[in-house]
Amino acid sequence: MHLSFKRAIAARALLFAVVCVLSLPTTVHTQDANFDADRIRRATVFVMQVDTTGASPIIQCAASGTLVTRTGLILTNAHPTVPNNACPGDDLIIAIASEPDAPPVPTFRASIVQSNPGLDIALLQIDRQIDGRLIDPTALSLPFVELADSDSLALDDTLVVVGYADLGDSSVSLVRGTVTGFSAEPIGGDRAWIKTNTVLPGTMTGTGAYDQSGRLVGIPTTVPLDQVAPDSRCLSLQDTNDDGVITSGDRCVPLGGEISVLRPSNFARPLFRAATLRLDLQSQTATVPFTAPTGAPVFSRLFFSPTVNDAGMPVSVVRGLPAGTDRVYLFFTYANMTSETVYELRVSSGGVLNPTFSLSAVRWSGGRDGLWYVGSGGQPWSNGVYDFTLLIGGVVADSARLLIGASGETLPTFSDIVFGIENSSDGVVGTGFVLPTGTVASARFIHRNMSPGLRWASIWYYQETEVLRETLDWADGESGTKTIRIQDPAGLLPGAYRLELYLDIGQGFRLAATSDFTLAGTPVGDFARIFEDAHFTTAADAERALTASGLSSFPEGTASIYALFDWNQIRPGTLWTMRWLVDDEPFYEQTLPWSAAENGDDYLMTLTVPGGVPDGTYRLELSINRIIFAQTEARVGIGQLPIDRFAQASGVQFRGQIFDTQSGAGISGATVIVISDLFNVEEFTAQWDQEQIYALATTDRIGRFIVERLLQPGAQYSLFVIAEGYLPISADGLEVAPDSPSLDIPFYLTRG
Amino acid sequence: MAVIEIGGASQSGITQRQRWGHYFAVFYAAIALLIGINLRDSSVNAVVAYSNTTAGIRALYPRGWLIDTDGDYVFRVRDLSAGGYKTTIQVAIEPVAPTASSRNIVDALTLARSQRVAAYTPLSRSPISLSDEREALALEYAYVEPGDNVFLSAIPNVVSGLDIIVLQRGQAIIISFLSDSDTYDSNYPVFQRFLDALVF
Repeated sequence: MHLSFKRAIAARALLFAVVCVLSLPTTVHTQDANFDADRIRRATVFVMQVDTTGASPIIQCAASGTLVTRTGLILTNAHPTVPNNACPGDDLIIAIASEPDAPPVPTFRASIVQSNPGLDIALLQIDRQIDGRLIDPTALSLPFVELADSDSLALDDTLVVVGYADLGDSSVSLVRGTVTGFSAEPIGGDRAWIKTNTVLPGTMTGTGAYDQSGRLVGIPTTVPLDQVAPDSRCLSLQDTNDDGVITSGDRCVPLGGEISVLRPSNFARPLFRAATLRLDLQSQTATVPFTAPTGAPVFSRLFFSPTVNDAGMPVSVVRGLPAGTDRVYLFFTYANMTSETVYELRVSSGGVLNPTFSLSAVRWSGGRDGLWYVGSGGQPWSNGVYDFTLLIGGVVADSARLLIGASGETLPTFSDIVFGIENSSDGVVGTGFVLPTGTVASARFIHRNMSPGLRWASIWYYQETEVLRETLDWADGESGTKTIRIQDPAGLLPGAYRLELYLDIGQGFRLAATSDFTLAGTPVGDFARIFEDAHFTTAADAERALTASGLSSFPEGTASIYALFDWNQIRPGTLWTMRWLVDDEPFYEQTLPWSAAENGDDYLMTLTVPGGVPDGTYRLELSINRIIFAQTEARVGIGQLPIDRFAQASGVQFRGQIFDTQSGAGISGATVIVISDLFNVEEFTAQWDQEQIYALATTDRIGRFIVERLLQPGAQYSLFVIAEGYLPISADGLEVAPDSPSLDIPFYLTRG
Repeated sequence: MAVIEIGGASQSGITQRQRWGHYFAVFYAAIALLIGINLRDSSVNAVVAYSNTTAGIRALYPRGWLIDTDGDYVFRVRDLSAGGYKTTIQVAIEPVAPTASSRNIVDALTLARSQRVAAYTPLSRSPISLSDEREALALEYAYVEPGDNVFLSAIPNVVSGLDIIVLQRGQAIIISFLSDSDTYDSNYPVFQRFLDALVF
C-alpha cells in the first residue's frame, strides 16, 4: 500500500493539476454557479401510486417528486400519493433516471411518513427495493436538494422547474419561468401560492421549482378533476380489466391540467422537520369523529375587501376600488368542504382570463364550513371590471364582479369590526376575536361619512343561524367608532358567531362590514381561559402520564414525552390550532374542529421517536383564531437539536472515472476514499478508521464513480484511490473552487 | 573471436577461500530468501489489535482493512482494496431468550436477511468446535449485492457468507465473514486467522 517516492510525486502532481484545471470557473448556462442542474435532475424522481391487491400492480396516479435528504425522503404532492377517492392505491413506486437523457426506471418503493392533504404536501420515505426487500434508509446516499426560504422570493424572480413532463419516454425536463405574483389564502397569508408565467404539464405536479441558487422554493401543484368534470384528462396505460386490449374501459391514470401555481416550500418545512426527526405525534384523548359532510360543497355570500386583518377577517366590504389598487381579497362562505374538494378561481376582464389573479385548480386547505378568502396583495390592478368565478370540481359554484377605478365619491362606510367586553369608556377590551362565555358580547366598528337618519342594520349569527337583527336610523356622529352588543341573560352559548353590518344608501341594504368571532372559555377578567395547565411529562404509559407531575426538562434519549392540558367551554366544531415547535421551528401545525367534550381535563398527546426523542427545546402552543391561549415548553437533553452533518446540499459534486494506465480500460470495483479535512493520507493509512472518512465511492463496471456527499469549498480533503492489483494513489490538499458545480476527474492506476 | 572456456580444467584452481565463498553466497541467498518470505508474510499477515471492554471482545484484524464501529454491530472491518464485494469480517452481539436455541438465532437471521438482501439463500448449517473447543454453529449462505449507487451501472456481486454463532451468557455472538464468491476460498484463511485469535 506504499507508493514509491517518484510515483507518489507524479500521482500527486497529476492529481493537483487535474483538480486545478477542473476547478477553474466554467461557463455555466444557468442563473448561478451554485445551480447544479445535474444534481437537481438526479434528485428528481417519478412517483407512481399503485394498487397491489390484484395479480399485478395497477398504476392509479402519477406525479413527480424531489429527494430532499440523502436517506431517501421525497417531497411531493399529497393528492397522488395519500390514498383518496381519486387515487386509491396502496403502495408507492419510485422511479429514478440513471442517465440524464433517459426516462425513469422503477427502482424503489416508498411509504408516506408525513402528509397534509389540505396543503397537498406529502413526504415519502424510500424504504424498500423495487422487489420489496427492506432498505435501511441510513445506508442510502442519494442526491438531494435543500429547501429554500420561500419568503425570500420576489416578483419577477427567475424559477426553474425540474420534473417529468409526461408518462412516456421523456427524461427530466427543465422549464424556466418567472414569478408573476402570489395568491393569498387564510392558511398562508399573502403567500399561500406562488404564481408563475410558466405553464407546466400535469405530471409535473409535486416536483420542485428552484431559485437561482438551486434550492427548492416551491412545489408545482395541481389536482386532476373528477372524471365527470369537463376539464378532466386521463390516460389508460394498462389492461386493468384483462380483456386483452387497452381501451377507455381500463383504469385511467388522471392527469392534472396545466400548472401555474406553486405551493411555497415553507409550507413543507414543518412536515420535513417531523419526518427527518421521525417525530410521531398521537392524540390519546378519545374524541368524537367529526361527521363528514353529507351535502355537496357550496360557496356563497361572495364579497370583496381591500384588506385582511390579523385574524383573517375582512376590514370592510367594497364593490369597487380606486385606481392604483394593489390589494383585493375575495371573501366567501363555504360549506361541506373536505380536503379532497378541488376549487378554482378564474378572474376575467372583458371575457379574457387573467392568469395573474386567477388560481388554478387546487385542493381545499380550509375546514368544512366557515369564511374563506382568496386574493392578492402587492400587485397593481389595471382599471376595469373584473368577474370573479369560483369553481368546485371544475363546475361553476358562484361569481361576483368588482370595479377597479371607481370614482372617489365619499360614501358612508363601516369597517374594522373588533369584539370584546365593553368597558366603562364605551370601548371594548379583550383579544379581539375570541371572547369568554358570558351574557354579553360587544362589537366596536369604525364608521365614516354617516349622516343622521341613514338606515343601517346589524345581524348576529350563531352557528350560521340568525339570532338577532336590528334595523335603526343612524343617530351618532359622521365619523368615529360605535359599539353594539348581543346579550342573553341566560348566557351566550360557546361557539362560532358572526356579525354583519348593512347600510342602505339608496339601493336597499347592502353588506358594509362583517366579521366572525368565537365564544369559548370561562371569563377571567376581560379575557377567556380556554386552555389551562398545559404541561409536559413522561411516564411508562399513557395512563400513568395522566397523574405524573409536569416536567420542564427530560434526560437525553427519553422514549416518549406526553403533553397534557385542560379545557373549558369549547363547543365541538370550534376551529382550534395545535402547534408544536422544536428549537423554535414548527414541526406540527393543524387547525381542526374541536372534537372532544365541551369541558374536560387532561387532553393527552404523545410524542414518540424511535430511539428516543432528540435533544431540543420543545414547545406546544394552543390557539383559536390565531390567538395563543396556552403554551408550555420543555428541554430534552442539552436542549438543542443535534447537527446533521449530512444535511447540507450545497457543495461540489465529485465524480470521475478510473482507468488502467496500460490498457486504458475502466477499472471496476475500485474504491475512492475522500478523507476528512481533519486528517491526511499518512494519518489515515496508519489507522484505517471509518471515522476519518468524509465519503466513499466504488466504481461501476466501466470505472465510473460518484461521491454523493458534496465537497465543501474551503476544506482541504485528502484522497486515496485503491483497487485490487493496482498501486494505490493518494494526495493531500484537495480543495474545490466555490464556483464549480461539479468536479469530474479521470484517474489512471498502474498495475503492481 | 574470443573463446571463453568454461569447464572442469579450471576447477582444480579453486582455492579453499573461494570454495567457502561459494558456500557463504548460497547460505546468504537462502537467508535473504527466508527474510524476504518472512517480511512478505509479516506484511500480508500484519494485524491490528482491537478491543472492546464493554462487549468483552479482543481481536486481531488485518492491517489495511477499514474498521467501522458505528453500526448495529460491535465492529466491522472491510478490505477496500478487494475487487467486487469488499471482503468483510464483522462481530455482532444479539440478545437471546433464555430458552433460545441456535436454530432460533439462525431462523431470526434468515428472516431478517431475506427481507434486506436479494436472493438470500441459506446453504448449510453445521455444528463446529472453535479453537478453544467451544461449541458453535456455522451457517453458510449466499446472496446478491447490487451496486450502491443507482446512477451507476454496476454488475451485482454474488456474496458468500459464513456466520459463526456462539451462545453465551444470554447473548449470541455472531462472527460473520462475507466475501465475493469468486474469492471466498482464497480469502478464507484471513478469516480463519481472525477467528483463531478472537477472544470473547
